[in-house]
Amino acid sequence: MSNPTLINGFDTRRHVGVHAEQVSHVSSTDYPGHYPGEDNSWDLDAFKKRLNLKVQRLSNRSVAFDLVGVDASIANAFRRILIAEVPTVTVERVYVWDNTSVVVDEVLAQRIGLIPLNVDPSFMDMKESPSDQATDRNTLVFRLRVACTRNKNAPKGSTNPNELYINSDVLSSHLEWVPQGEQMTVMASNPPAPTNPNIVLAKLRPGQEIDMELHAIKGVGKDHAKFCPVATASYRLLPKIVLNPQKPVPPHLAEKFQKCFSPGVIRVDPRTKAITVDEEKARNESMSREVYRHPEFAGCVQLARVRDHFLFNIESEGFYPPERLLPEAIAVMRGKIANIRKVAEALLHDSDGPGDVEMTDT
Amino acid sequence: MNQPGSSNTYGGGGGGFMPQPRQEMEYICADCGAKNEIKSREPIRCRECGHRIMYKKRTKRMVQFEAR
Amino acid sequence: MTESMPKIKIMKGATPDLSAATYQIFDESHTIGNALRWMLMKNPKVEFCGYSVPHPSENLIQLRIQMYDELSSLTALLDALGNLDSLCETVDDAYRTSLASGDYERWAEKS
Repeated sequence: MSNPTLINGFDTRRHVGVHAEQVSHVSSTDYPGHYPGEDNSWDLDAFKKRLNLKVQRLSNRSVAFDLVGVDASIANAFRRILIAEVPTVTVERVYVWDNTSVVVDEVLAQRIGLIPLNVDPSFMDMKESPSDQATDRNTLVFRLRVACTRNKNAPKGSTNPNELYINSDVLSSHLEWVPQGEQMTVMASNPPAPTNPNIVLAKLRPGQEIDMELHAIKGVGKDHAKFCPVATASYRLLPKIVLNPQKPVPPHLAEKFQKCFSPGVIRVDPRTKAITVDEEKARNESMSREVYRHPEFAGCVQLARVRDHFLFNIESEGFYPPERLLPEAIAVMRGKIANIRKVAEALLHDSDGPGDVEMTDT
Repeated sequence: MNQPGSSNTYGGGGGGFMPQPRQEMEYICADCGAKNEIKSREPIRCRECGHRIMYKKRTKRMVQFEAR
Repeated sequence: MTESMPKIKIMKGATPDLSAATYQIFDESHTIGNALRWMLMKNPKVEFCGYSVPHPSENLIQLRIQMYDELSSLTALLDALGNLDSLCETVDDAYRTSLASGDYERWAEKS
């Protein structure tokens, strides 16, 4: 496959080419020694100047922000940490005394594990190993005791189970926190409970009951997805539409050209039918590559993405408000760096001394 | 994955017959849901509706699960 | 997992002056591996840097560093870690500044 011809305005350093059947210029090239006579080595002040982080939208559930001026490896590290390494607290152990519902113990236990809890993980310690002793610092206890009975005051002729029976639905709001040790004082201001009280865990009919004790611990998403603090954490690169100044779109085809893109992305001058790109709305472009299907537009336009412009979207699920997620991820990242650094420094001091460096197989 | 919790005093698991004094067992009628006490060698029949299928009650012993 | 496991091992075959060495870093993945590789490649004294996850079921990465001028790869690694930390700090500050400015769209999402 030959490299497609690129039009003026497409910057191979900054842009990733998007073509009909392939992408080009994917890897970054800003390394020392890549371009003769250029430095490109790490420079914190230059990085600070180039970095642009702007929150775009914030709701009670999600945050969207632009991260501009970092390499993909950094953006990806934050994304990976958000999904796999920011800790949360959820139910891990379930002790069942009675469960006569139609949902079998295993399935019910698994469902309960997936309930997001409103507990700040910083109040709790991580269990080093699953066999560790449960203490008031690493374990929360909940009780789930629900029995279904007939409702004596049900309206005549009703067929609605919620009216006919009491406790026909087992909801996440039925979880009852049982404070252990010093938890009563530490967590009294914000008592542990599910973030959503309306999750149906099982359905009951008269005579059926559930009686279990639930132990919640702190964990991370790489161990089990139930510990994941986000619903989604993703980024995409900013779309860029480069028009060819050498080959403008014929005026009678301007509307057809406009329709090849997402709404609002392409502007057509009502009088001259001249085409311009609305740079503000370019982020909404779906990159469908529809223009490439029409031979009359060949060479008029080059679709691209800006290699260091990341559009993040993070949806929170569970304890963290969405705007707190990125700082938490950065804190985890810095913790990992500090950890490796400490060991590397110890290694350096060892090699300075009279003894040899530790060298091992595998 | 699951193991019986604290080893309880009676009603050994696994269906092995225990030579201990058998207390009356309560069963649940499969048709009307009434509780029935049925002693050994008694006909299996619901006192309320005459149905002849009974369910055994679930154990009250603690069982442990991982929420995974 | 045993507690006695060292976090970093220098693998057999490294030069005595550590100008070329492969570091095995335990309990780390692409998250740190790729970021660290990038930061090391930003160092003009680094001749080569690459990392790998040898096997998906072994929770470790291998980071290979080769230096120009017989410099120590361990010092380069430490520099890269320091730079990566200041990068994180910069991004954190920028995020907090943008969040505090309040210059963004706020909307209510059904939960």
